[in-house]
Amino acid sequence: MPDHILENGDSPELEDLFDSIAHQVQAESAPVAGVASSDAPIIEESIRPVPPELIDPAVMYDQIGQLTRKLHDAMQSMGYDKSLETIAEAIPDAKDRLGYIATLTESAAKRVLDATDIAKPIQDHLESRAAELNQRWNLVFDNKLSVGDFKQLAEDTRNYLGGVPDQTQATSTQLLEIVMAQDFQDLTGQVIKKMMDMFKGIEHELVSFLIAYSPTMKKVELDTGLLNGPVVNPEGRSDVVTSQQQVDDLLESLGF
Amino acid sequence: MPDKNMRFLVVDDFSTMRRIVRNLLKELGFTNVDEAEDGQVALHKLKTQPYDFVVSDWNMPNMTGIELLKAIRADAQFKGLPFLMITAEAKRENIIEAAMAGASGYIVKPFTAATLEEKMNKIFQSLNK
Repeated sequence: MPDHILENGDSPELEDLFDSIAHQVQAESAPVAGVASSDAPIIEESIRPVPPELIDPAVMYDQIGQLTRKLHDAMQSMGYDKSLETIAEAIPDAKDRLGYIATLTESAAKRVLDATDIAKPIQDHLESRAAELNQRWNLVFDNKLSVGDFKQLAEDTRNYLGGVPDQTQATSTQLLEIVMAQDFQDLTGQVIKKMMDMFKGIEHELVSFLIAYSPTMKKVELDTGLLNGPVVNPEGRSDVVTSQQQVDDLLESLGF
Repeated sequence: MPDKNMRFLVVDDFSTMRRIVRNLLKELGFTNVDEAEDGQVALHKLKTQPYDFVVSDWNMPNMTGIELLKAIRADAQFKGLPFLMITAEAKRENIIEAAMAGASGYIVKPFTAATLEEKMNKIFQSLNK
């Protein structure tokens, strides 16, 4: 298999680290009653409106500042500030995710084209040899071949058939390489997912802010369901979809 | 020598990735492969049918690979079930968390058929100890 342009970072040191911990864990293992999940359960946030007398411009300003910082950091971590063309080395830098996507798709395309470049001549050769032999066999069936030539044809044909498995296996190897080259989809898909989750999270926080600080007369128009807040969903679970409509309605009702 | 007919469960939310792992396993001679798109579906399948080996991605909706692993290790029904954790980043904290949760082994994406075979053989060897 040709050198994969991307190093995945695994190393003997990491393996040793894993092994030493795994052995410890096995040594002291007894099934633990119940599942200890380190992830916090989904909390449905209920956004309490800030009473007008407590609205402090300084606090509001601070919150907006923090949200802006979050948005900015998120965009930077997505590589938005780097030019997509400056990928000289294909090193998956955590800060250059968008560039990473470009690199992955490019190298995947290259792997596929390389594989087809290798496989095509093999196929062509297999085909032309078969055509040539077939022509000679046609002569046999037309009674136009001498005995000596017939013997030669039989030997040539036998050699050809003997060599076919090697050829087809070589082609299969290239086909597998093409399959493997599709792995970029998984990694780019994950990056895109992360981006979407980040944007959704930030949108949620901005919406919460708007609800909390909305002018009093607008509050009564808000759908009570919406005051409970959309569900915070960093793992991208499917029930966030309905809240997009709620966000639209909210923004409209607030005049945005 | 691992039984070539052993039943695998491949867990990943990207169907492309599930297909790739299935192809790799086939390349290694293992054709008895089932799939699940997240930890929850995987756990349900594990509870209702027999499997001999789990290969699971880390990040998935509804139930992550780590959560699935912990649920498996907490259940006596699955004692000794081999679990290979697929991780996208070779970071120390990921490796440590996988080991502590009871993974039988880990593999970093993207990986080759050769690497998969290596990691699986390592697990088979330790199973036979």
